[in-house]
Amino acid sequence: MTAATPGGGIDRRATRESPAPPGSGPLALTLFLMALTMFFAASVVGFLLIRARQPEWPPAGSPPLPGGLWLATLVLLAGSAAVQAALGAIRRGSQRGLRLGLAAALALTVLFLGLQAANWSTLASEGLTPGANLFGFAFYMLTGLHAAHVVGGLVVLVLVTAKAFRGGYSAGYHPGVRSATVYTHFLTVVWFVMFGVVFLI
Amino acid sequence: MATIDHTMPGTARPGPARQANYLNASHGLLSWLTTLDHKRIGVLYLVSTLTAFFLGGVFALLVRTELLTPTQTIMGPDTYNKMFTLHGAVMVFLFIIPSIPGAIGNFVLPIMLGAKDVAFPRLNLLSWYLYIIGALWAVASIIMGGVDTGWTFYTPYSTTTNTAVISMTFGVFILGFSSILTGVNFITTVHKLRPVEMDWFKMPLLLWALYSTAVIQILATPVLGVTMLLLIAERALGIGIFDPALGGDPILYQHFFWFYSHPAVYIMILPAMGVISEIIPVFSRKHIFGYRFIAYSSVAIAIFGFLVWAHHMFTSGMSPMATMIFSALTFSVAIPSAVKVFNWLATMYGGSIQLKTPMLWAVGFIFVFGIGGLTGLFLGALTTDVHLHDTYFIVAHFHYVMMGGSVFALIGGLFYWWPKMFGRMVEERWAQIGFWLSFVGFNVTFFSQFVLGSRGMPRRYFNYLPEFQGLHQLSTYGSYVLAIGLGLSAVALLHSLFAGRPAPDNPWGAASLEWSTSSPPPTDNFSSEPVAGDPYDYNELAWDRSVQGYVRKG
Repeated sequence: MTAATPGGGIDRRATRESPAPPGSGPLALTLFLMALTMFFAASVVGFLLIRARQPEWPPAGSPPLPGGLWLATLVLLAGSAAVQAALGAIRRGSQRGLRLGLAAALALTVLFLGLQAANWSTLASEGLTPGANLFGFAFYMLTGLHAAHVVGGLVVLVLVTAKAFRGGYSAGYHPGVRSATVYTHFLTVVWFVMFGVVFLI
Repeated sequence: MATIDHTMPGTARPGPARQANYLNASHGLLSWLTTLDHKRIGVLYLVSTLTAFFLGGVFALLVRTELLTPTQTIMGPDTYNKMFTLHGAVMVFLFIIPSIPGAIGNFVLPIMLGAKDVAFPRLNLLSWYLYIIGALWAVASIIMGGVDTGWTFYTPYSTTTNTAVISMTFGVFILGFSSILTGVNFITTVHKLRPVEMDWFKMPLLLWALYSTAVIQILATPVLGVTMLLLIAERALGIGIFDPALGGDPILYQHFFWFYSHPAVYIMILPAMGVISEIIPVFSRKHIFGYRFIAYSSVAIAIFGFLVWAHHMFTSGMSPMATMIFSALTFSVAIPSAVKVFNWLATMYGGSIQLKTPMLWAVGFIFVFGIGGLTGLFLGALTTDVHLHDTYFIVAHFHYVMMGGSVFALIGGLFYWWPKMFGRMVEERWAQIGFWLSFVGFNVTFFSQFVLGSRGMPRRYFNYLPEFQGLHQLSTYGSYVLAIGLGLSAVALLHSLFAGRPAPDNPWGAASLEWSTSSPPPTDNFSSEPVAGDPYDYNELAWDRSVQGYVRKG
């Protein structure tokens, strides 16, 4: 299980600077996503409770939600597919497929954020700002929290893509690609829940 | 100097303090601020949380002093409101929640597992920095004029008062990240760095407690994050999420707040129970009784803790059905807590009890936690809660649990692991006097508040009826005795750093792995691979006069 280090010390971790034992990263990611699940669940429940108290939802005179949200949804889904393709590629050992998939996912994520910014500015120009009323606040709260986490994912995706282009991953070693994939899918699922709550209920 | 050679017989040979260890491995402030060593991060947490404890304690003494007379004594009503708010917020968010996991947990958890460090040392250091950033935001709110809402930040007052609510709640928001990261790190460490021979039921019970705590930290803290964001948004944008004057729902805030803050009560008490489960068997020289029951009861408390939040809101106008369900669930939490207490008592029964300072604090814990827990039943019962709600009875109840529970265990744990942390033995006599003053002072302070509350004295009032003055004064004098007792304990600890006898590897005769390495431990924790056995089997240990500590037989 363990090997003695030259200094006679034990080796359940070679050094503090070395990576944690196998499986630590995925477990920590799972725990982190559990925390995020509670975070988004609380915000969606908050949205529904705020909404339940309002006599009219959306309030009279609110502009319709922009159709760009549907486009953003498609782009997000495509981003998930791209990063999944990248993971599949590196599992087969294809560096080219990995880079292509990650570059596409990166572009799609940036496009999604751009579309969301456009959606917000459309709504704001029609008078629905976060401070306008509870409807506006609740809408911006949900989409804003989601977008903030997409930005966080973008940072990870940039690092992973950069490492992929340096040839840092192989068929047998690609924890960063796996983590980025899981996180991207997670945010896509969160978006579908939010989209359903805002549009369909 | 007339005398040069003060060398005592015990220190003539190279004592433990002279060996290379984590304290003298590198020097300078920067080596501490950039350390990845879980032991040093534990010490950083210890220093910072105890600083917060001191700050919160000063606020508490000012509040108690103000209450010496029924009218204004030393401060005006607005200052008084800020003092009790800052006392509560600093004690809860800056001290009790991070103290045992951050300080004792960080120091002890990896060594108990026989590991070199936690799974993610960098993440560990990051969580300390997040603690410091969050704490600075909270302290900034004090400089910006303080907060006067009470530590619960109840709406709509918190969204309409003109004090520094945003700064304080943003600090609490950041502190939440620190708490979550510590939880992720501890769970991963227990899963991935546990030695093969140590299965789940051979882990020291402190690890079960820290693990259960970590689950709550991960699942409950995000809800507080959302709550604080909503509160900040309402204040910044003037949107009526919680303010009924703007069409909002103040009860929604209370549900959100307590959905976190009730589980947070177990973030505060579960690690304390873990510490007590380590101290009691060692100083009873007897194997822990009912290991599996204590282990499972930690998990049970973590689960039940999520289902009882609304018992803070019985008088808020919920449906009678909801209050009855929450009342029944509240009583169910008493079961795992009582399981622990009875198992500790059964461990002590028939043991050869050594009343060293850590054991005094542990036995004191059982006594005050017993009172704190049992008075909780009066608050969980709907009929009595209506009378006792928002009185000094509840103040006394949660101080018996939080201060008498969590803080007693923290101090007991500090005296217990101090020789391991710093390689010095504490002078027993002064430490014991410190305990007794604290114990008497604590009970005088807070037992009188039970009486005050049951006679109808509301909490947080600045002025009160003259008939309550006697008990208020008694409580205040008790708090001064408590402060002296805690001060004496601090002096005893600090004195040991300069004049304490060097600590042997195993001064108390404990069997968990941290006592099989040197005191203080080397940077890598162990010089050779430790083999984990039963952490509560003391039969293989014998007192060795030559090292003034316990050693393995044979």
